[in-house]
Amino acid sequence: MEELIRAVDLKKYFKLSKTEYLHAVDGVHFSIKKGQTLGVVGESGCGKSTLGRVLIGLIEATSGQIQYEGTDLLKLRPAQKKEYHKKMQIIFQDPYSSLNPRLSVFQLIAEPLISNKVYKTKGELVDRVGYLMEKVGLDQRFINAYPHEMDGGRRQRVGIARALALNPEFVVCDEPVSALDVSIQAQIINLLQDMQEEMGLSYMFITHDLSVVRHMSDEIMVMYLGQCVEKAPAYELFKNPMHPYTKALLAAIPQPVLGARGKKEIIRGEVSNPINPPKGCRFASRCQHCCDRCTQEDVMLKEVENAHEVACVLYK
Amino acid sequence: MEQTDKILEVEDLTVVYNTDAGTVHAVNGVSFSINKKETIGLVGETGAGKTTTALSIMQLLPERTGRITAGSVKYRGEELLTKSKAEMRLIRGECISMIFQDPMTALNPLMTVGEQIYESLDIHNERKKSPKELEARVDELLELVGIPARRKTNYPHEFSGGMKQRIVIAIALACEPLLLIADEPTTALDVTIQAQVLNLIEELKEKLSTSMIMITHDLGVVAQTCDKVAVMYAGEIVEYGTLEEVFDRSRPHHPYTIGLFDAIPSLTEERKRLKPIEGLMPDPANLPEGCHFHPRCHQCLEKCRSGAVYRYEEGTHIIKCNRMEKGVQDGRVD
Ligand SMILES: Nc1ncnc2c1ncn2[C@@H]1O[C@H](COP(=O)(O)OP(=O)(O)OP(=O)(O)O)[C@@H](O)[C@H]1O
Ligand SMILES: Nc1ncnc2c1ncn2[C@@H]1O[C@H](COP(=O)(O)OP(=O)(O)O)[C@@H](O)[C@H]1O
Ligand code: SF4
Ligand code: SF4
Ligand SMILES: [Mg+2]
Ligand SMILES: [Mg+2]
Repeated sequence: MEELIRAVDLKKYFKLSKTEYLHAVDGVHFSIKKGQTLGVVGESGCGKSTLGRVLIGLIEATSGQIQYEGTDLLKLRPAQKKEYHKKMQIIFQDPYSSLNPRLSVFQLIAEPLISNKVYKTKGELVDRVGYLMEKVGLDQRFINAYPHEMDGGRRQRVGIARALALNPEFVVCDEPVSALDVSIQAQIINLLQDMQEEMGLSYMFITHDLSVVRHMSDEIMVMYLGQCVEKAPAYELFKNPMHPYTKALLAAIPQPVLGARGKKEIIRGEVSNPINPPKGCRFASRCQHCCDRCTQEDVMLKEVENAHEVACVLYK
Repeated sequence: MEQTDKILEVEDLTVVYNTDAGTVHAVNGVSFSINKKETIGLVGETGAGKTTTALSIMQLLPERTGRITAGSVKYRGEELLTKSKAEMRLIRGECISMIFQDPMTALNPLMTVGEQIYESLDIHNERKKSPKELEARVDELLELVGIPARRKTNYPHEFSGGMKQRIVIAIALACEPLLLIADEPTTALDVTIQAQVLNLIEELKEKLSTSMIMITHDLGVVAQTCDKVAVMYAGEIVEYGTLEEVFDRSRPHHPYTIGLFDAIPSLTEERKRLKPIEGLMPDPANLPEGCHFHPRCHQCLEKCRSGAVYRYEEGTHIIKCNRMEKGVQDGRVD
C-alpha cells in the first residue's frame, strides 16, 4: 500500500522562558499509508494533540520532517503549503468549543467552501452543503440551527461535515468521541469508518480510550511524555504488549465483565513534567524494571519483531 | 436480612426541575437500597438522572428550581425528606459524604489543601478536639490518600488532577461517613490514575466499613467496584440487580442495558462494526408515553407506546420491560 504521510524526527518544543523548554513532541517517527488509520494513545499531556496540530500545520514544528507523498512540507513556501493543507483536516474533541456559536449549520459547513472558493454559483454551494449534511447523517431540518440548539452527537456531525467539505485525503481525529455518551459514540465511530471507506481517507486517530483505538486503528502508536514508546499493528499491540508502560496502560482499563471486581495491579506515580526532561527513558521513575542503563542514555525505538517497535532496554 | 444492616432505602423518589422551558422530569420513581459495606452502581448516560438522585439524597438540589415531589429517603430507618436544614447539615457532616465529578469545583482555589481539610474537620468537631489534634488528623488523612503531609501548605493548582481528586476524597472521608456518594469520581482522570483512585476508594471502604453509591457511565468501573447495579434511563431505573445478575449476558436483560453493552468496542473480540443505540435520549421536559425507551427500542411492541410497563422480578433482579411478561415471548435477546 502507498504511503501518504511520513514524519521524521518530528519535534515541537514550547519555549517557556530563556532556559526552559517544554518538550511536547520530542523526536517522533511514523508513516501512514493511504486509506489506513494510525491510532495515537497516551495519557493527558503526552503530546497527542500537539502532534496532530503540527502535522497539519496548525502549529509550527521545531524541527524534523513531514513528508506528504514524498514532499517535505516544512521546506515549502507558504503558498505551496496552503495547497497541501487543504488536503489535511482536523476533527476536534469538543464540537461545542470548536464551532463558532454565532454561525448556523449552513454557514458552518459552507465556510471552508467559501474561504477556499471551490464553488461557482450559490446553487452549487447550497447543493454541496446539502450533500455533506446527508453524508454525515444530519437531517436537513437542522440547516438553520445553531450549535447550542443541538446535542453533542449532532454537533460532532457538523464538525465532521466541515472537515470533509474540501474532500481531504488525510484527517486528524483528535478525541472525536471522548465527549459523547457511548450510544452516540458508536454512531459517530461508524460514521467515521463509513467516510474512510467511501473517500479513501487516511486518519490519525487520537484518543486516550484504548478500546476505541483498538477498534479504529490499523496501527497504534503509544506515546509517553512526547515520545513514541511502542508502535505495532493494532491486533499485535493488544496481543503482545512489550513496553512496561503499554502493559501498565492495558492492565489499568476497567473491563465491563464479571470477575473484575476488586483491586488491580497498578503503576505508582504520575506522568512527570515535560520541561527540560532528563536523559534516558522518560518512564524510568515509574518503571519497576528500571536499571542504570535506562537513565544513562536515551532509549531509542527499535524494531523488535516484524513491524513491532519498542523503546525499552529490556528488548533488543 | 436484619433491619440494622440497611443503610439507605430510597423509595419511589420523584424529582422535577421547574424551568422556563417547562417541567423537567429528571427522576421518575426511583427505588433502591444499600446495605452496610455495600456498593451500588448507578449507571447511565448523560441526563439519565444520576446526579439528581444523589443531590436529592443529600438534599442539595438547587433551591429555586429543584423539587422532590414524591417518595422517601430513609437513612438507617429514619426519614430524611422531613428533616430540617440544620438536621440535614449534621447528617451531611457526620454520616453521608459526597465526592463531585470535577475536583476543581469542589476545592477552594484560594485556600491551601491543609486548611480545607482542617475546616471540614472543624465544622463537625463534635468531640471538641484541640487544634493540635485536628492538625494531626489532617496529616493522617493526607497520608491515608497517599499524599505526603508536608504538602498540606500547597494550593489546589499545585496538584495534578489525580492528586486533587484524592484530596477531595480525603475531605469526604474526614468525618468517616457511613455512606459515600461518588459522582463520576474518575471520569476526568487518565486510566492509570483512575486505577489508583479506584484502588484507594476500595481500600478506604474496607478500612472504614463505608457503604457507597458509585455514579458512573462506565460499565468497566461498575464491574470493578460494585456489588449491585441500577441501570438508569430517562429518570428511571430500568434494570436492577446484583453485579452478577446485570452483567451475566446469558440472563435476560432490558433492551437498553443490552444496547449499552453492545455499543462499547470490545478489547478482546473482533468486531468490524459497532451496534449503536439509534436515536437520542428523550427530552426530559417532554418524555415519550409508555416505555420512555420505546422510540429507540428495536423490540418495541404496540403496547409499549402507552400505559404502564411490565415489571419483571426474579430474586433480586428487576427489569422494566413489556417483553418480559409471560406469554409475550422469551425476553432473551442476543
Ligand atoms: N501553546 C502551548 N504552550 C506551552 N505548552 C503547551 C502548549 N500547548 C501544549 N503544551 C504542553 O504540551 C504538552 C502536550 O500537550 P498536548 O495538548 O499535546 O497533550 P495531549 O496528549 O493532547 O493531552 P490531552 O489528552 O490532555 O488532550 C503538555 O505538557 C501541554 O501542557
Ligand atoms: N438545575 C437544573 N435545572 C434544570 N434541569 C436540570 C438541572 N439539573 C439537571 N437537570 C436536568 O435533569 C435531567 C437529569 O440530569 P442529571 O441528574 O444531571 O443526570 P446525570 O447525572 O445522569 O447526567 C437532565 O435532563 C438535566 O438536563
Ligand atoms: S527502558 Fe528501562 S525504565 Fe524505561 S521502560 Fe524499559 S526497563 Fe523501564
Ligand atoms: S417495554 Fe417495549 S419499548 Fe420498552 S424496552 Fe421493553 S420492549 Fe422496548
Ligand atoms: Mg489533546
Ligand atoms: Mg451527572
